[in-house]
Amino acid sequence: MHIPYNVLSPPVWATAAAVSGAALGASLVWARRGLDDRRIPLMGVMGAFIFAAQMVNFPILVIPGISGHLGGGFLLGVLLGTPLGIIVMASVLVIQACYGDGGVEALGANVFVMGILPCLLGGLTRRLWREPRVKWLAEGVSVVGGTATIVAGAAIVVLLLWCSGTIPGNISLDHALAAAMGVHLPIGIVEGVASAGIIRFILRVRPDAVWADSLPFRAGEASA
Amino acid sequence: MTTANRWTLLVGVAVSVLVGGGVSYLASSDPDGLEAVQEQLGVTPAHSGIAPPPTPFEGYRVKGLGDGFGSNAAAGVAGSLLVLGLVLGIGYVLRRGRARPATDPGATSHDP
Repeated sequence: MHIPYNVLSPPVWATAAAVSGAALGASLVWARRGLDDRRIPLMGVMGAFIFAAQMVNFPILVIPGISGHLGGGFLLGVLLGTPLGIIVMASVLVIQACYGDGGVEALGANVFVMGILPCLLGGLTRRLWREPRVKWLAEGVSVVGGTATIVAGAAIVVLLLWCSGTIPGNISLDHALAAAMGVHLPIGIVEGVASAGIIRFILRVRPDAVWADSLPFRAGEASA
Repeated sequence: MTTANRWTLLVGVAVSVLVGGGVSYLASSDPDGLEAVQEQLGVTPAHSGIAPPPTPFEGYRVKGLGDGFGSNAAAGVAGSLLVLGLVLGIGYVLRRGRARPATDPGATSHDP
């Protein structure tokens, strides 16, 4: 769901770039407090995996002729926390832009829609996964949350196109929003289910890497 | 580097290579959700003028290798490794910001 070249107006893409640039900068400053050794390889392989997984367009059977692909921002937010998730997703999108996927001028907007928004929601869900007594709740919230990130992302793209004036005047905003969100609902459900499954798997094999931040970061805060 | 980290890298890269280099060849070529919506709404690229920078990986194919399995596989594997390198690079720069006094070359332990 990458915004392509030449559909955003300069004020829109510049604003999006400023917002995303500020969020990415804040994430880097936050992470500069220090990264635990165990988290860095997990960040790297999750980025590599999401790049690969996004190449796999799957048919969404309920709407023939339309495909979807994984977003991955939500699961990054859960597994790495919001700031590190944003850093990894921005890296994926930069390399994808080098592949002609997503406009270079739209990079800020794409980082917002596929990185910042889902990583924020994922980051909010992160603490639920930490409490083993409510595992079913964490899984359920992740399925719904992952779905929501894709549907909300599609709505934001429509708003950006609307502000850019590239949606024809005879189409109402309501109609455009409904069309985009309707198409992205089945894609979002796949995202939600896949996110919950991948989070479960990573938490089973590397819980130390997922939760490695808690102690070192508190110590870093105290000494700062 | 700890054994767990080495395994994470090894398995993670293997899965990414398999998915990006192999499974992605079977991907649906139908427009994705956003492309379909733009088509349906008649979104017109009104703000023309920005051209894609030259790239050897246009459309997830390697320029000069055609449109076959190998071209897709090479582009997919290269992309995954580029992301891996970029993220690891950022990660290790950020790690040094905190841990410089404690990390000697070859040190694998960390504070509990």
